[in-house]
Amino acid sequence: MGAGESTPLKTPGGLAQTFRSDPLNYMAKTLIVASAYYLSARLGLRVALIERNVTPLWPPTGIALVAFLVFGRALWPGVALGAFAVNLPITNGLAAAATAAGNTLAPLAAASLLIRVGFRREIDRLWDAVDIVFLGALLSMLISASVGAGTLLVSGVISAHEFPAAWAVWWTGDAMGVLVVAPFLLSLFQRPWSGSLRERAEGAALLLLVAVVSLLVMNTDRGLMFLVIPILGWTAWRFQQRGAAPAALIAAGIASWAAAQGLGPFRQGTLFEKMITLQSFDATVAFSSLFFAALVTERMRDREALERAADELEMRVTRRTAELSAANELLKREIVERHETDRRLRQREGQLAEAQEAAQVGSWEWLIPENRVSWSDEMFRIHGFLPQEFPLTFEKALAQVAEDDVVRIRASVKAALERGRGQHLPDIEYRIVRPDGVERVLRGKAKLNVGSNGQPLRMIGTVQDVTESKMAEREHRIAETLQRSLLPDRLPEVPGVMLTARYVPATSDMEIGGDWYDVMQLPDGLVGLAIGDVAGHGLRAASTMGQMRMALRVCALEERSPNRVVTRLRHLVRGQLDADFATLVYLVFDPDSGMVRFANAGHPPPLVVRGTDGATYLEGGLGPPLGAVGFPDHHLDVTYHLAAGSTLFLFTDGLVERRGATIRDGLDRLKTLVAVSDEDLEAMCDHLLFEMVGSDVSDDVALLAFRPVLLAREPLLLRLPAEPHVLAPFRWTLRRWLREIGASPQIANDILVASGEACANVIQHAYGAKEGLLEVDLVVLDGTVEVTVRDRGAWRPSDGRGTGYGERLIRGLMDSVDVKSGSGGTVVRMRRRLQAGSQGERARPH
Amino acid sequence: MSELARIDAEHRGSLCVIRLHGEVDISNDREVLAAIETAVPHSALRLIVDLTHTTYLDSAGLALLLRLAERLQARRQQMRIVAPLGSPVRTVLELTGMLGVIPVEGRLEDAVRESEQGDGRQESS
Repeated sequence: MGAGESTPLKTPGGLAQTFRSDPLNYMAKTLIVASAYYLSARLGLRVALIERNVTPLWPPTGIALVAFLVFGRALWPGVALGAFAVNLPITNGLAAAATAAGNTLAPLAAASLLIRVGFRREIDRLWDAVDIVFLGALLSMLISASVGAGTLLVSGVISAHEFPAAWAVWWTGDAMGVLVVAPFLLSLFQRPWSGSLRERAEGAALLLLVAVVSLLVMNTDRGLMFLVIPILGWTAWRFQQRGAAPAALIAAGIASWAAAQGLGPFRQGTLFEKMITLQSFDATVAFSSLFFAALVTERMRDREALERAADELEMRVTRRTAELSAANELLKREIVERHETDRRLRQREGQLAEAQEAAQVGSWEWLIPENRVSWSDEMFRIHGFLPQEFPLTFEKALAQVAEDDVVRIRASVKAALERGRGQHLPDIEYRIVRPDGVERVLRGKAKLNVGSNGQPLRMIGTVQDVTESKMAEREHRIAETLQRSLLPDRLPEVPGVMLTARYVPATSDMEIGGDWYDVMQLPDGLVGLAIGDVAGHGLRAASTMGQMRMALRVCALEERSPNRVVTRLRHLVRGQLDADFATLVYLVFDPDSGMVRFANAGHPPPLVVRGTDGATYLEGGLGPPLGAVGFPDHHLDVTYHLAAGSTLFLFTDGLVERRGATIRDGLDRLKTLVAVSDEDLEAMCDHLLFEMVGSDVSDDVALLAFRPVLLAREPLLLRLPAEPHVLAPFRWTLRRWLREIGASPQIANDILVASGEACANVIQHAYGAKEGLLEVDLVVLDGTVEVTVRDRGAWRPSDGRGTGYGERLIRGLMDSVDVKSGSGGTVVRMRRRLQAGSQGERARPH
Repeated sequence: MSELARIDAEHRGSLCVIRLHGEVDISNDREVLAAIETAVPHSALRLIVDLTHTTYLDSAGLALLLRLAERLQARRQQMRIVAPLGSPVRTVLELTGMLGVIPVEGRLEDAVRESEQGDGRQESS
């Protein structure tokens, strides 16, 4: 038992444990093993050849070995008990005990050896077959044979010369017991067989065939025992140990039985010969079936493994192939995509180059750490080179830049690098000199990129050739400045006339036109208004327009008739002025009478709006434009009565000319707009410009509007600079006002002179060298005109020039005069009744 | 000369007729005076200032006329003024007592005749 515990058991190792925990189970198993041993021994003895105790096939050794292998070597007492029980009736007790010990030790040794070499109970390897044959059977059974035969000798059952034969029979019998019985029993303890019904039937048929053939060959005298071998081989081939083991048992059993009975092949010959025959047969059967089955099993297993390996290989190959083809597909797609990307990139590069060429914009990149500069093709062209003519560095890129501009560029770049962050550099304009000596003006934009810790990496930028636009811009600026300076910066203030003007320069660069207008105060209170358009654009048109305006001013002072003024200008244009062609409307307005006289030289007609009566173009008086030859000079002035509250518009064609519409359409549209326009003159002009021109001014627009208003509706309140030159316009206004309030010429003149004297006094005495304000208010109260002349100055003593005539005049012309003088200034209040009667009361020296 | 007033001169032997058109005030009185002085030749013994077409004349204009008369008197040249009755200028001349200082006629013909008679009287005396 100690050996059983100390030896590691591969076979169900729980037996010792079972014994401890479940002794009843152990006892039962021991008894079963003992019984099985005993019964099989009784069966084996039935085929004994010598004295009923030496048998050529001793099954109990097989049973004992299988019991030890399957249930553990702890069951040895069962074996020992069975063996003792078998031998006791044959010999005396001592001999039986010795024999039993040998019979127990032999399978115990066999089991130990087999376990030690790693024997597999399935006997499915060739090595298992070799192990069980040589170690389990032939070697181990030397023990039982030696002990048993020795006991027989010692106990005197056999003589010394009989010993070898007895030993040999014992040995072979025990060995055959192991070889024939053990495989069969072991096969019973394997996994349940999962064979189909057909396979089961085939197995049963084969076993039956083995039995039948074995019986047949044992019952004939002919040596036909070998016929069993093919069937065994077939069985082993088909069912391996499962079939081979029982078949071998059947064949060996029948042969042993036949030998014991002396049938067929065993009928003749000595006991020894029979023994040799039987043992040879049994050994052949056992060896053949054992080895063949093991071999077949091994081969099958190998084949299965091979097949599995092949399958696996195939599977792996399939999988790998699939992976490969997928990778291949991917690769192909990538190649196609790469091609497409490449193509698009090239296309885009081409487009970029074209765009740069079209826009005259070049681009550059400066890789700062490497100091490598690359230029686009257009960049080379801008600098006067062939595209990519030479490699560049920062220094080389600046080689053509004008010296002082290089300094500016370097300063800008240096400042950007010192700031040490990604940024846009300020735009810079600079000059370069091309290899052919041509100077160009470039505008550069640049941007700095820096790395993660602020180190400058690269700078990129664009350069545009702005030479043409710079020149154009300069000319445009000059022309615009000139034109602005040539137009009146403010309009004269004419009492009783509302007046406003608009000038809108063209939005596009080169469209500074020769549009102009002017308003002049003429002798006798007349107002001259002119609007004109000199053909062409730019500097020349602007300067011509300036000359034209000055010429008109001179002529207007000398000639009362607009037509004669225009005719003189016509001669001037033909002979002197630097103009090919110009249009003009010149118009003189007499605020006193409300009469308008005008002449038109090929210009859009003036437009008059009479309150709610609608609008009319004054289309008469039209002569050819200035500069046109072959037309007679004689034209008559056209006159028109412009009632108070009417509005007259003068404008240039920019207001009415729209793309895709005739000038007639524009004139009609303007007429419609004006008819429904606002009463406020300023708002009206803004509205007209907004509606007619909008924000896209393709040509200059000049617009002049004026509207005479009735002065007499309200008191006349005048605030004038205290300067001599305001006196005449003041009188013109006063005359008109007096006429409108219904004063007789006589009385109007009296008031006019008295007021003039009072104003002249203020101008001469109130302010000295300082500027000052002259305030004159005229109101009508109960048929009396009250004139108040006020100043904010301090009067200085008269220089004697006036010799007191002024005061005498005032007092003589007016009904009452009241002078109040103080530190804040002087107020002269004068009254004059509008009734003629008062005049008679006044004493006049004749 | 300003646009406010202008003169034209007519010479009839030793008689010079100056017609003053427009308006005279402190803004142009000196210019007008200078113009008249320039227009009157030294040879002219008699001067007639015709104010028929003068639309405005105030104390500055009166002062101008007085100064001109004084200057001519120092040169032994005599001066007459023409101012139609009822005209604005006439009122001014009357109110300031100018009629007693400088001979004023209503019409140019009268002034010319008076001038010639005065001349003859002067020569005969």
